[in-house]
Amino acid sequence: MARFNLFQRVSQAPTNPQPAAAQRGFDVADLYRGPLAEKNDSGSDPGLALDEKLRQAYFWIVNTAIISPHYDIEYNEGPPQSFVLGDSKSRLTLPSGQSYSSFVLLPLLTFASRRKCLFVGGPGRGKTASAILMGVLAGYPVREVRRAMQHGHPQMTIADLLGNPLPADLVNAQKIEDIRVSWRKWLGMRVKIIDEYNRIPTRTQSALLTVMGDNYAEILDHIYECPESAWFLTANDEQGGGTYQVIEALRDRIDVIVQALAFNPRFLDDLLTRVEENVRPEEVVPRQIVFSEAEVDRLQPEIRGVEMPVEIRRRLEFFSSQFEFCEVAGDQFEYKTKDTARLAGVEWHTLTAQETGRDRLKDLGCQTRNGLSVRLLMTLLIYSKALAYFRGNRVVGLEDLRQILPFVLHDKLVPDPDAPFFDALGNGAYRTDRVGWLRKLFDSACADFDRLNLDRDDPINVFGVEFKRGLDGLNESEARSRLVKIERLIGEWSKGRKLYGHMYDDLLMLKYLHQRYTNYLRWVKTQ
Amino acid sequence: MSDNLDGGGDGQAGVCDAFASVLRSGRPQFNAQFTEARRVYPNLDGSAFLEFLRTDVDGLVQVVQQSHPEQITDLTLAAYEAGLELVGQKLAGPGARHPWIEEGWKRVLPALASALATAPARIIRSVSNALHHLANTPGARLEQWISEFERLGPQCGNVDTVLLVGQVLAWRAGLAHYRGGAVTAAGALPTALALSAIGAPSSADWPQLQERLKVNPWFSPTSPSEGDKESAGFPRFVAQAGAFRGFGGLFVEPPRVASSGQDFLVRSGDDCWLLTADIFGATFHRSSPAEFDSATQGSQLPSELRMNDSKLLWRKRPIEMPIDGLITSSAANPTTLALTSSLTHSVVLFALS
Repeated sequence: MARFNLFQRVSQAPTNPQPAAAQRGFDVADLYRGPLAEKNDSGSDPGLALDEKLRQAYFWIVNTAIISPHYDIEYNEGPPQSFVLGDSKSRLTLPSGQSYSSFVLLPLLTFASRRKCLFVGGPGRGKTASAILMGVLAGYPVREVRRAMQHGHPQMTIADLLGNPLPADLVNAQKIEDIRVSWRKWLGMRVKIIDEYNRIPTRTQSALLTVMGDNYAEILDHIYECPESAWFLTANDEQGGGTYQVIEALRDRIDVIVQALAFNPRFLDDLLTRVEENVRPEEVVPRQIVFSEAEVDRLQPEIRGVEMPVEIRRRLEFFSSQFEFCEVAGDQFEYKTKDTARLAGVEWHTLTAQETGRDRLKDLGCQTRNGLSVRLLMTLLIYSKALAYFRGNRVVGLEDLRQILPFVLHDKLVPDPDAPFFDALGNGAYRTDRVGWLRKLFDSACADFDRLNLDRDDPINVFGVEFKRGLDGLNESEARSRLVKIERLIGEWSKGRKLYGHMYDDLLMLKYLHQRYTNYLRWVKTQ
Repeated sequence: MSDNLDGGGDGQAGVCDAFASVLRSGRPQFNAQFTEARRVYPNLDGSAFLEFLRTDVDGLVQVVQQSHPEQITDLTLAAYEAGLELVGQKLAGPGARHPWIEEGWKRVLPALASALATAPARIIRSVSNALHHLANTPGARLEQWISEFERLGPQCGNVDTVLLVGQVLAWRAGLAHYRGGAVTAAGALPTALALSAIGAPSSADWPQLQERLKVNPWFSPTSPSEGDKESAGFPRFVAQAGAFRGFGGLFVEPPRVASSGQDFLVRSGDDCWLLTADIFGATFHRSSPAEFDSATQGSQLPSELRMNDSKLLWRKRPIEMPIDGLITSSAANPTTLALTSSLTHSVVLFALS
């Protein structure tokens, strides 16, 4: 009877078919493969590529486990159909390519790349269920996943979270190292779930930070080294709600934030079937989509091995250089950053009031109160690769970066709601729609990148390529010539052009190159 | 419509007693299975399924009952479950997308009664899948596969033999891409059955035949001595593969061809295929334009072939073309020459060995 189990049907490979080279090795045994599957076909196919398995897991989750009709990560393979609806001219796009639901895809990418994902959204929207599914995909029994899940509550202590010293040892021990610690089992799991993490008291949050950030736990000088794992946290309200304010360092450790969107009542029929069949999706996960520890280990290098082309990397560089620059924050060139202002504790509006000359509507940097950290950029690179890998590609595309970016920067790139951009006609919704705003921000940066023709004409890139060839064997006259070129370019830029974020970073790069050539020249002269 | 097969009437009317008895004894389970299948296949029609049970499963049960009455229950369970899937997918029963699976249930499965009694689920599944496979392969000769299986079925005493014979017959019915595997499968059969399955005379020398089949795709095992006389090194027209899409073929425009190992790559418009061909048929398999382009660059014709005033010459002797128009492309491998013309939506194949 299991043959007709509606809840265990896995999408047939290939789940994202691409134009492929013709099959050469024909197996005559394929004659007997067809619409009637073998009963023991439910086992995992050892020859199946891991990206295909990930996609099968994705489609099983969206089609069977979490009824998710939202396709907010849109890909197109040609012009999409688009419709404008309602008084506010809402645009509905029907993508022409295989598109995805962020609520399922982002956790899966987190699982595959062993990063940290936060689910946000109202109660009862499947946040915890989604996290439990990730634990089951990692091969843990449902009961074990449920028991290992940490539920945040206001009385949660460090001992609740990490473990207890053995009471007998506490009484008898002569030295602190004699006290044995009973560590909590969840610390050793490769999928860690913290439910309602914003209800955890601040002190316990700090202990959690050590585990999340440095992958070890510490009690009474005893250390527990945790294995590399994927983290899933949930919060009913990430924007300041919860019992306790989440410490910034802990928030900063979260790689992606994904919002549980509303349930579409048109899918009530599926819920009804689930009720009538008394089925819990996490209890009927098909074996084909469960990953072994070795498979998840294998996923890591495969994802890291996805190529990030120079053209895409340049666009990310250009985008991220828009935000840190703050002309009025410092006197010395290097300190003209928003971080300088933040560290000084200056009121934001006093800084913006001093801004002159630049077009605050066009300057993307004016829309945010901070810039991007190194950790953020690394996360962006990893998730872009993971998304490309998930789609069966071995090279990151611009759309991969564009689609993943809002979920990585969700609460990391802080908007300035008083910026003129948000007051412009039609931009009001971006005050509340972070994903839409961040995507718009990236699109605007790409449009600027194109307008400046930086794909073809980027003098800084030319200098960089020249420098990367190395200084070995460079003669004095060539080094001088390069110094002159750098000085000439800065001289040109200084003639009346406004200073924008991307130029600021380029100028710092030129200063860096200038300094390297100056030092080299000095050394050459002594030879 | 009712959610089970009872439907308020007598679901077992019009079937033999043995079959009716098994259905009656497992009535709640059978009904539950039907209900589950309905969730997976919402279009599963109860009356269509009942009709399938009456016309196809009942006949099968009657045949097996004569020789293996103790296996009726297992057979019924397997046939019922497979039937739900086939009728649910509109592959069998009234309104089926093609008649071949039912035809196979009526003619092939009864011929395999002995093997069917030992492993009903596996035989039913394999034969049904094979019929579906053949029905979806353009150019495959289903009637030949079925009638040959009817002839050889009684000689297949076990499941493995059935599966091997089915593979050999599928190759002979036009699935040229299975040539290598099918020749190997024939080698695993008893010699007399192997010769019969490939259509060779019973007096033929099987090891010698097998060697020739391995090296020459245009060698005909049905008349092994003919092959010695033919060709003699001059291209011999053997097949014309493909057709205009308007006539049910694949090509939107006259195709072009390039060599690709033992096979050929064919391009028509933006679409490309791998063409595998031999004495029994030709099949096309999806390929990519990039693969075609790279094959075109590396394609080399035999030195004996020359183009002269739009005529093809083989060692200075003209090759008679069965098609009109200018030659647009040509490709060759050690055994086959492939040509296309500007006025024909097909690839013309000449045997070179």
